[in-house]
Order: sequence, then structure tokens, then C-alpha cells
Amino acid sequence: MKNRLKIERAILDLTQEELANKIGVSRQTISSIEKNRYVPSTVLSLRLSSLFKKPVNDFFELDENEKANA
Amino acid sequence: MNVKSFMECERKSLEKMKRYQLSNKFKKIGMGVIIISVVAFVVNKLSIENIDLKLTSKYGILIGLLLISISKEKIEDELIKSLRMQSYTFAFIAGVIITLFTNPIFNYIANLISEKQQGNFEGVGDWEILWILLSIQVFYFEFLKRMNK
Repeated sequence: MKNRLKIERAILDLTQEELANKIGVSRQTISSIEKNRYVPSTVLSLRLSSLFKKPVNDFFELDENEKANA
Repeated sequence: MNVKSFMECERKSLEKMKRYQLSNKFKKIGMGVIIISVVAFVVNKLSIENIDLKLTSKYGILIGLLLISISKEKIEDELIKSLRMQSYTFAFIAGVIITLFTNPIFNYIANLISEKQQGNFEGVGDWEILWILLSIQVFYFEFLKRMNK
């Protein structure tokens, strides 16, 4: 899954640590999501959506393989 | 008690069982218990005092490893939970493989450590299996955490 978390974070001018504190996770979790090493849960995605004031689809996107298997 | 309330009761007790983890400070307590146990083991090995600390050190190491294994991280979020589950899965599979295929080697080392007859290739004991499982879980969990930094 591809994501635009880093871009959205930059738009809000937040560091990984600040974003992590706002949504109640560790900095490592934000870093792992940004590097596509970890796919967050629905709850965490909705928390991010609420913070960015954007639908989840705006910053998370299925990659080509995942789309093909859908 | 009707079926619905019985199911609700069961569900609540299952939910309680999920909260098996200890607070983060138990990790340090666990490390302390292991250090004390290792010291007790060395004392026993060197026979500085004429006391048998073998069983104490065996229990101590196991309890220490368990405390570290079930202690929460400072921030116990969903990534950490996911890594913890991965480490338990890996430890379980690795533990079974080690027991099946590398039995003599590990047993030989375990025998050397636990002061049994040296070079005696017999089946892996309960203690050794539990040590191996918990050690793999603890180290693999730390490895996964470092990989996700």
C-alpha cells in the first residue's frame, strides 16, 4: 500500500514525534508507516483522517498488485 | 443464567485474559532477576559457598525471561503489538524446529550450562525448551523493534 503520510505531515508542518503524540502512537509507528513497512489499522487510519481533515483514500492507496487482487 | 448472559460472561472473562501484560517497570525487574540468577549460577558453579543454587537459578532465569516477555513497552501501540505477535509466532516455530532438528547440539550446550554430565546427548528438557522459546521471543522482538526504528 502506498501512502502520502509524509506529504500530509509536511503540509501541517508536524514532525514525526508531534504527529505520533497527536494520534497516540510512537514515533517508530509513524516512521514505519511512512516507509511502507507497516499498514496501520482502520482505527489509526481514521484518526489520521480526522487530523488531516481528509478522507482515508486521499493519503492511502492500494498498489497495482493489491488492486489486481481486489 | 440464560445462554445470552452466559456468553456475555464468557466473553468478559476472555477479554480479561487478553490483559495479561505487566507494566514497563517489570522489564527492569525481570532483568534484575536474570542477573541475580546468573550470579547465583556462577556462585554455584564455582562452589564458593557450599549451597545448591541450581534450582534457584533455573527458576530465576525463567521467571526473569517471562517478566521481560510479558512487560509492556513505554508506548504500547498497535505496531508494537503486531511486532510482539510476530515474535511469539517466530519463537514458537523456531522452538519446535530447534527441538526437532538441532536437539543434540542445543542439549549438549544446555548440559554444559546446567552442570549435567558433559557430552551426554539426550532429549531437550522442559527447562531448556522454555528458555529457548522465551529467549528467542525476547531477542527477536528487540530485533524487530530495531528494524522498525
